[in-house]
Parts: sequence; structure tokens; C-alpha cells
Amino acid sequence: MGRLKQKGKAGAAKTYITRSSAVKKLQCSLADFRRLCILKGIFPREPRHKKRANKGSTAPTSFYYAKDIAYLAHEPVLNKLREHKAFAKKISRALGRGEWSTAKNLEDNKPVYRLDHIIKERYPSFIDAVRDIDDALCMIHLFASLPSNPRVSPALIENCARLTAEWQLYVMHTRSLRNVFLSIKGVYYQAEIMDQNVTWLVPYQFPQNIPSDVDVRVMLTFLELYQTLLGFVFFKLYTDASLVYPPPLDSGRDESGAGVGAFNLRPVNPATGGPTSDTPKVSSKEVRQTIKSITAESSTMPPNDVDIDHIDRTDSFRDAAEEEFLPTLLSLSSLPKPSSTNILAPYTFWLSRESSRSIFEFLIRSFGGRIGWPVSSGGGSPFTEDDETITHVIIDRPAAKGDTAQEQERRRRRKYVQPQWVVDCINAGKILLEDLYAQGKTLPPHLSPFGERDGAYDPTIGLANVENSLIQVDDAELSEDSQEVEDVEMGSELEGDVKSMAALAVAAADDPEALRAAELAAEAAGVDFGTFEKEVQKKQKQQKHKGDAVVNGGGEEDMNKILMSKRKRQLYERMKYGEKKRAAEIEKDRRRKARAS
Amino acid sequence: MAVTGLGKVRNKRKQEEVEEVEKGPFAGAVDLEMHSEDEAEDEDREGDDASDDGDVDEFPEIDAASDSDEESDEEGEEEDADDLDEEDTLDENSDADSDLHIFPKSKKVVSNITGQTKVVYPEIEPDYDSDSSTEDDPNRVGNIPMHWYDDLPHLGYNINGKRVLRPAKGDELDRFLQTVEDPNSWTTAFDKNTQMDKPLSAEELDIIRRLQAGENPDAEYDPYEPTIEWFTGKGKEEVMPLSSAPEPKRRWLPSKWEKQKIMKIVRAIRQGRIVGSKPTAADKKQQFYAIWNEPPSNQPPPLPAPKPKLPTNSESYNPPEEYLPTEEERKQWENTDFEDRERDYLPHKYPALRLVPAYDQFIKQRFNRQLDLYLAPRIQRVKLNVDPNSLLPKLPSPNSLRPFPNYKSLQFVHTKARVRCLSISPDGAWVASGDESGVISLWEVNVGREVKRWNLGSKVGAIEWCPRLDACFLVAGTEERLHFFIPPNISPAMLTTTQSILAPATLPPTTQSSIKWISTSGAAEDGPILTIELPSASGLSRQLTWHRKGDYLASVSSSETQGSVWMHQISRRHSQAPFKKIKGAVQMVLFHPTKPHFFVATQRYVRLYNLAEQKLLKTLMPGIKWISSMDVHPSGDHIIVGGYDRKLCWFDLELSEKPYKVIRYHSRAIRSLHFHPTYPLFASSSDDGSIQIFHARVYSDLMTDPLIVPLKILRGHDVQEGLGVLQIKWVNKQPWLVSAGADGNVSLWCS
Repeated sequence: MGRLKQKGKAGAAKTYITRSSAVKKLQCSLADFRRLCILKGIFPREPRHKKRANKGSTAPTSFYYAKDIAYLAHEPVLNKLREHKAFAKKISRALGRGEWSTAKNLEDNKPVYRLDHIIKERYPSFIDAVRDIDDALCMIHLFASLPSNPRVSPALIENCARLTAEWQLYVMHTRSLRNVFLSIKGVYYQAEIMDQNVTWLVPYQFPQNIPSDVDVRVMLTFLELYQTLLGFVFFKLYTDASLVYPPPLDSGRDESGAGVGAFNLRPVNPATGGPTSDTPKVSSKEVRQTIKSITAESSTMPPNDVDIDHIDRTDSFRDAAEEEFLPTLLSLSSLPKPSSTNILAPYTFWLSRESSRSIFEFLIRSFGGRIGWPVSSGGGSPFTEDDETITHVIIDRPAAKGDTAQEQERRRRRKYVQPQWVVDCINAGKILLEDLYAQGKTLPPHLSPFGERDGAYDPTIGLANVENSLIQVDDAELSEDSQEVEDVEMGSELEGDVKSMAALAVAAADDPEALRAAELAAEAAGVDFGTFEKEVQKKQKQQKHKGDAVVNGGGEEDMNKILMSKRKRQLYERMKYGEKKRAAEIEKDRRRKARAS
Repeated sequence: MAVTGLGKVRNKRKQEEVEEVEKGPFAGAVDLEMHSEDEAEDEDREGDDASDDGDVDEFPEIDAASDSDEESDEEGEEEDADDLDEEDTLDENSDADSDLHIFPKSKKVVSNITGQTKVVYPEIEPDYDSDSSTEDDPNRVGNIPMHWYDDLPHLGYNINGKRVLRPAKGDELDRFLQTVEDPNSWTTAFDKNTQMDKPLSAEELDIIRRLQAGENPDAEYDPYEPTIEWFTGKGKEEVMPLSSAPEPKRRWLPSKWEKQKIMKIVRAIRQGRIVGSKPTAADKKQQFYAIWNEPPSNQPPPLPAPKPKLPTNSESYNPPEEYLPTEEERKQWENTDFEDRERDYLPHKYPALRLVPAYDQFIKQRFNRQLDLYLAPRIQRVKLNVDPNSLLPKLPSPNSLRPFPNYKSLQFVHTKARVRCLSISPDGAWVASGDESGVISLWEVNVGREVKRWNLGSKVGAIEWCPRLDACFLVAGTEERLHFFIPPNISPAMLTTTQSILAPATLPPTTQSSIKWISTSGAAEDGPILTIELPSASGLSRQLTWHRKGDYLASVSSSETQGSVWMHQISRRHSQAPFKKIKGAVQMVLFHPTKPHFFVATQRYVRLYNLAEQKLLKTLMPGIKWISSMDVHPSGDHIIVGGYDRKLCWFDLELSEKPYKVIRYHSRAIRSLHFHPTYPLFASSSDDGSIQIFHARVYSDLMTDPLIVPLKILRGHDVQEGLGVLQIKWVNKQPWLVSAGADGNVSLWCS
């Protein structure tokens, strides 16, 4: 006989640990535990059997993997947190006694934890990190736009703003932006970095206040991690693109509100460039191809380009000069770009003062265009409003009446478009007609470039498509009918007409107005009423049969359901419920559209 | 005399005032001189007086002094007019130079010898005036404790040994008048030596003022005097040594011990034992480096957090019209709880980008996302991407399993009450249906025409047609009775056999039984030909079932006593209770179609008895609460059991005591089950008013499971008082079904 099994010695009872016991085991406060969980990315688990994991109790508790907690016990950050606790006691005592110099000394030697090892641990490879920066980008963009308050220090906000600018510069430099979506929540951007789609949401530029039911400490802890993560990710991205990280800030331009323009992208000096030296070398053939593509690209660019493109070119020239040392497969892979990343390259834009510069400067420069803006939107505009090369003016206000002669002249030479045009062009990957988006016009709907989920209602498939499908169906039926129906004596195209009319009428089955419209159309096509009536009846009968078949089939399925096991039946019913609901939603949207149009 | 004296005094004082006013600024200085003169005069005179007459002792201080003063004043003024003038001029000069100094004026002269300024006083001329000894000294008693003479009229003794008399001191009134009349009285102070008030000099007043103000009492003192450099500066250095001791070595040799100590620190620094102060925590900035340069560990990375859903069209600032919510949708959205909302925003259309406001839930939603990231348990679910229809069991299409009853072909109506039971003749031509009012109708299957009606007067619980083909009769169970009927219009041969069976000419010997068999041969046409009277209080006989040979009949009564099951043998006209004791209320009994086995269904179990060996073979446990009906497959190897809890269990008798399949499809209790005797069909009826037809194929080899295919749901009976279809029966040689409903209808379902 084997050893007796004891309860609570193996299995779920040992695998899981409740939160309170985890806190007790780590001997830290709940706040510290939360901080650790956030930093280390530890989250609760759902045991398969709660009762087995919690000594027979089914009270609602959150469980963690006991191993996760065991690893946490050896975390250096935990030690630092303990040191910090001691430090807080010491400094409060020093302050209470009025020992200022001691307090200052303590403050100078305050324990500070670093998160490098956690970043390395959570993201063993760079791709893992890139895959997970969505939330980080959202957060730094949010905090960059927040006003400072006692809990959110100005230094933090400044750092977030710097990180956002670095990210935007990188995206602009590598032309990796793919999709943009103007939503009611903010602007969604999607970039493709290292073959990973990175999506982030930027709020519109308005002052935001942190609501009272939001725990800022949680957000700040996340932000701490995100800042470190983004720092390392940006370092790697910049270094791989042979740029200096961090990009030096031009304080003068920053003062004048130049935004991203205040940073200089500077190529790494190859003599000193450490990280490039250990990357594998490429064959000279590839190098030559690359150079060719680079030169071709740079020649297509407009002559007076801004600094980003300038850097591109200098890079390529230098590379050409020193072929042997030319590095980085990565830069090679990033160089051949799809043509759609350059769609705005031939154009020069002027941004009117009511459009957000931060959005459109980023968009247009990401797609190769040049953009200028009035002084009221900040300094650093590369050209003024009366520049001859301006082709488009992005304007968001209704057209004014009185135009001076100069303005009329400008209107003749430039295209005045609303901001949505830029975004729609980017999403479509080609230049759209400007007429629909002209100043003061009612805009066409702005659709999500990310698409709907599969099988959802698609607003782009309008009534036209419905008609198409109907006609196709008719054709199929026609071929069937031609064998058995002997009273079809008329011309085939006329017959087709009648059929389509009838089909339309039937499609609108119980709608008398549609029937009437179809009748009128039939009359216009020269079909006499009798034939039309016959057709309609036939169609209706066919449809009814079809419906019957569907009903019968449905009944059959339902009966087969009898023999399913309970689990399978429930799953089946859930799926059917979802299907039905989705279908109902689609139907609702379609009906609404029909009513609206 | 005194009064006139007083009046004189007043007059004099007035004069004095006038004089003093006239005297002006020099009053003080003049007074000093005058007082001294007066006192001297007084002294002299008093001395004279004292020497002359001794009255003075007695009356030292009254008006005499004042009188004499005044007189002397007047006289003095008149006599010494020249002196006064002289003195006045002298005083004027001195006062003009420095009003405080009595001494002759000094001069500041630069010394020829030292080069410094020095104060030079004028030479004192040794003439008569210079000798102050000639002036009458006020009081030369010396610095003695004056309280020695407190009680004496004199103050002390002068140089000649004569008494110095105490000056006259007026009474309080005089003092008061003096303070009132003399404007300078407040600047006078009592002088102990002279024992009289003396006006304070301007210097003294200044000192008092300074003391009061907390200043230095010396007017000459200058707290901010420029420093005078005595030994520093060019040319003022002290060159002479202060000491003649020789210079010590330490003055010019570096210290060995200091050097050793410093070298110790230097060595420690060189060896790195002492490190310079670290940069403070505040100054330290995050340094980034190539963290992903070294190859990653081969541990799998932690699972990435699920990404939030990408925005769809409805989130656009300018969505197509059809996405905008209607008014009621908006209201519904607003009224639902935050957690229950299907999406966290309401679509809205803005005509231009500049009109889009800030999204007020932005921070909140970010925060919720973070809460999800660190608080929500994550489960990895395999997303089932299957067509739901593929989950359905693969069954042959019902169309390929025809024939089965499809539609209601005719309906027979019992007008009075619900139809409890029905039975179909073995040849499949006739149906007998009995209702609760006691009417049994006999009607034709093909056309539904009623050919015969018996009225029994009490509830009919069960009807069963005898399976014998050579005879034709049916049994109906009512309260405590079983009635045997012979249908009309049967062939004479069959009629005679039937009559011989039910009412034989020679009755078999009666047996000991509590059951009475009563033959009523005369009224064969109208009433029952045979009646079996069950024991009283056995209640309604709920079920009747024939053995396949048609000789044995089993009946179940509704009473829950032991005598609820009876076995009747027609040939012997004998009834017996097969079970002495049964656990539970018997719901149904059935004969095995081929073997001498007997099924008894109590409320929870189905028991299988061998009648020949009289023992229990099997107990089936369907797990149903409670069993309502049961039927045996014609092969005898399978039974189905239906229950009030809507379940239907299929038992394979060879297999197990647990059901092979339990299915639930009716929405109400199952009332009746029946296998078709020849076709592979069975049906179930329920209180929900529907009848479900199944195809049930049983294979002869033991390895293949029976095939059950649901074929059709027949609806057409109404549910009345919670009761639906109470009994169903298959027509023997046809795939037709007859059903009796609580709504009083009996329907025939044809294929």
C-alpha cells in the first residue's frame, strides 16, 4: 500500500496562494505588494476548483500562483522597498527632531530601485517588448497632456512629453505609421515596428483632470515601469536606426513651442558607434542594392526637405563611401518601404490655425509631406503662408464670404481640404479626390481602418451591392427556369428586366411602396402588368418555399439537438444565440441605413 | 505782622517773577551765582545773628529768613549792582562759548612736538579774581554722614569750629507755593550737603535725559569713532621681536605625522578603499543601454497581456448615420449600469474635427485597463472557431426514414370530458377511446365514424384490446371494475369464439380469490359481457396490459396498497396478486414480448421479474422522479422509461442497469410512450401538448448501438388544466399514430 495522501499537501492547495497569505509571506504592505505585482506583471489566477485551492472554502478570494510569490520573495525591488520603509522612518524622525543636516544626508542617500532587470525578465527578447508597448504609449501620451499637480510632478510630465516626442520622431523617421483613426475618444495610430502592429491612442488636446475615483498611485506605478520600458525600447530602436539616443533637445526651439521639431535626430558617429560594431556584416551585393534603392528614394524626395529626410540622405552617402563597414540588416529591412508610406511626398501643406498641429504635423511628415503652420500654432514652421510651393491647405472652418484678391488667387492655386481628407488618404493608401472634402462641405463618413469583426455589418456595402447580388441570384434562377417554363416567349433581356423588377418587389416583400415602385419601373421598361404580376407571384412562391425549407431545416436541427449531451447543447445554444444576435444587429443597421437613404 | 508779612512776600514774589521774566535765558546761571552770594550773605548774617542774639535757635526758619532773604536780595541787588554787572558780562562770555562749561574756553592746537592736536586752556592769571578762596564757601562740613545731625539745628561745623546752621526750610505750604510759583522747581533736587534744594544744571539734566533714554550718559562719547590703526599699515609694522627665544623647528619643517596620516588616506583612495561621495539620488538619471544585446534566456517569455479591442466604425467622430443611437437606445444605454454596458461609449457624430470635445472618460478607461492588467485573473481559452452546426450529431435525414406520421388526418371528439385512454384493435381498423365521464366510443380508424358507444357511468382509466386474432374483445378499467366488451359487427365465427372465451358454457372451477368474475351473457350487445370486480378501495384501474397470447391480463389500480397489481387469467377466470409486498407505488406493469418476464415500474425503479421462476431478475435505475410511463421494444431487449421530470431513458437490458441514453426534449412531463410493433418507430407524448416521433433502430449485433433519430414533432392538442396528450398508440400495421388529449380530442396522425 502506498503512502496515504494527505489533504492540502499537493495539487491545487499547493499551486495557489491567496492574496492575503501572499502578503503575509512577503512581509510587506498591501500597497507594496500591489506595486510589486504591477512591476513584475504578476496577476491573479483562476483555479479550476476554488474549493480545492482555498482549504475547502468558496469565499471570493483572488489566487496567485505560489511560485510567482516565491519568485517575488527574492526580488531586489522588494528589498529596496523595505529599505525605503526604514528610510522613511529615519527621515521622519530626523525632521521631527529638526536635524536638518541629517535629513539632507538621508535624502541624498535615499534608496532607489532600478527596473532594468525586470524589463529584461519580462521581455526576454526585443520583439516581446515591442509587442507590449501599446499600453505604455497610451499612458505616456496621456500624461504628457496632463496638467501638473501635487501628485503628478512637472518633471514626470516633462519626461513623458520627451518620450512621446522621441517616439513620434522615430515613427516619422522610419515611416512606419500605417493607419490613423479619428475617434470620439482620441486619435488612434497604428504603426508597424519590427513587423508588429503597435496601436496607441492619443487624447485630443484639451486639459484633462484626473477624476477622484481614479487611484493615481496605481497609474504612477504603471508609468514608472512604462517609462523605463520605453526608454530601453527607444534606445534599441534608435541605435538600430543608427541614431543617437536620446536625441539632443534644442532648448531655444523648445521654448518657442516647436514640439517635436525641438529635437535633433543625429546619426551615430560610426567611429564611436559601439552597438553597430558587433552586428553581422552583410554581403557587398546587398549593400549595393541598398544604396541604389536609397539613392533612388532620395532623388524622388523634394529638394528642400526637413531634417529627417536630410539625415536619411547623409546616411546613405556615408554608407556609400564606406561600403565595408556598412552595418545592420535591420536598417536594410527597414529601407525598402511600400509606396504608400510616401503618398504625401509630392505635396506641401499649410495647416490653418484651428487644426491640431500635433496631429497633422506627425501625420504629414510620417508620409513624406512637408507642412507649415502659422506662428499661433508654435514656432519652427519651415515656410510661411505665402510660400509658392504650398499645394494643400488643411482648413477646418466654414468658408468665409469676403475674399481678397490675394486669397482668391491662393484659392485658385491651392486645394482647401478638411482634415479628414489627410486621414482618409492615409488609410486608403492613395490620394483621394479632394472635392468631397472641400472646405465647408459635409464630410463623407469616417470609417475605422481597423475594420469590424468578421461578419459584422459593413457600411461600405451599400444598396448597390444588394442589387448586384439580387441580379446574380436572378441569373441563376433564370437558367433553372428556362428548362421548365414554356411561356417565356419574350426577348431575354426584357425577361431579365421583369425578373429583376419582380425580384426587387419581392425583396421588399411586405413593403407596398417598394412594390409600387417596382410596378412603375416595370411599366417604364415596357412590361405589361399581367406578366409582372405573374412574375411577382412566382417569386413570392419561390421565396416562401425557401423560407419553408429553412424552417424545416431549423426544426430538424432543433430535433437533432435532442440527442446532444448537455454541455454540447449549451455550447451550441450559446453559439446560436451569438449568431442570432449579430445577425439581428446587422439587420438593424441595414434597415436604418435604408431608412436614412 | 504775619499777615502783612505774607502779603509782602506775595508782592515780592510777583516782582521776582517779573524780574526773572526780564532776566530771560541767563536766569539759571545768574541764579547760581546769586544763590551762592545769598547763602554766603545769609551765613554771614545768620552767623552774626547767632552771635548777636540767640533767638534764632528758637525760630530758625520762619519768615525772618525769608524776610532777610528778600531784604538782602533787594539790598544785594542794589548794593552789588556793579559786581553783578561785571559777573553778568563774564558769565555772558562764558555762556556764549559753551553754555555748559564754567571753565574758560579751551583751544585746539596742533602740537609742535607730536603733531597731534591738543587742547590748550588759557593761562590763569594770578590776580585777585583767580583766588576762589575769597568767595564765601557755601558749606564746608565735609563728606560726613549727614544723618548725624538729623536731630540737630546745625549741619556740622565749619573750618573754624563754628556750627553751620541748617538753612531755613519752609513748611509744606511754602514748598508747595515754591513748586507752583517757581517754574524751575521741577529741575531742582535736594542737596544733602547743603540741606536745601538746588536747581539742576543743564549738564545734569542732559545726563538724566540720556540715562532715561538708555544712552551713554557721557555726551562726549562717540560710539562710532573711526578706528585708529596703531600697528598695521605701511610703516607701522613692529620690527622688533617680542621674545628673544630661538625660532622652533616646527615653524619651517613639514610635520612628519601629518604626512603619514595623509599618505594613509591617499593610499586608501588609490586602492579604492575610500570612494568619493556618490552622486545623490536626486541627481541620478536613468541610463539606458542595450539591454537586449546578450542572447535571451531560453525560458519562454511570460504570456503577453491581451490587447484591447481595436476601435470600430461606431467609434468614429463622423460615423455613418446608421450607427447613431436612437433616442430610446440612448436612454437605455444611460440607464444601464456601467458594467453592464455593451460598449463604453455612445456613438456621436460631429460635423467637423474642430468640434470634437475632450473625451471625459479617457483617464477612467485607461485606469480600468490598468486594473484589468494587474487585478483581473487571466484564463487562456481556446477560442472555439467551429461551425455550430458541426456540433450537431450526424443523423440520417428524417426524409430518408419515412414513413412516419406527419400530419393529423382526422380527429374524433369526445364532447364531455378529457380522454384518458384509447386502444386500437389488433387488426388496426378500430379505435376504442374512453373519457372521464365514462363514455367509451368505438370508431373506425379510416373514417373516424363512431359505431358504438358504451356509457359506463364512471371514469374510464384504461382500455385495452385483446391481442388475440381469433377473438375480438376489449377490456375497460373503471373504478374497482374491469369490463369486457365485444364490439359489434364482427364475423359470427369470431363472435362465437369470443363469447366462448368470455362466457363459456361450462365455467371453470372457482378458486379462492377475493375477486369476483361476473358474466352477463344476456346483454352482450349493450353492456359488458364480463365484469371483474376488484377489491373495494382499490381505486381506478389505471393501466391494463395483455400478455401476447391474450390469456393473461395485468391490471394496475391507482391505490397505493399492495393489491394494486392483479393478474387475471381469462381461461381459468382466476385473479391473483403476484406480489405480496412491493416497495413503492406501482406505476406500470408490462409483459415481456417473448419471455415469461414481467416489468414492474414503481415511482423510481423498474424491476424485472421472472414469472416462471418467481424471482427478481434486475432492477433498473433510471434516476427519474417520477416514472410515468414505460414501454418495451418488440424485441424485448430494450425498454424506454418516461418520467414526470421530462426525461426519457433508454435502457439496453443486456448492457446495464443504468440508462444507455437519457434525453430531455419535452417542456412538460412525459405522459405516454409507445413502440410501434412493426415499424422502427416510437413516440412520446407530453403535457406540453406535443408528440415526438422517433426513429429507433435496434441492431441485432451487440456491438452496434441503437440508432435514435428524432423525426417529427406533432402539435395539435391543446393543453387544458396542465394536461396535454394523455395517451398515444400506434396503429398496428400502419405507421399511423392515434393520440388522446386532455382537450377531449382523439387524433389520428398519418404519414
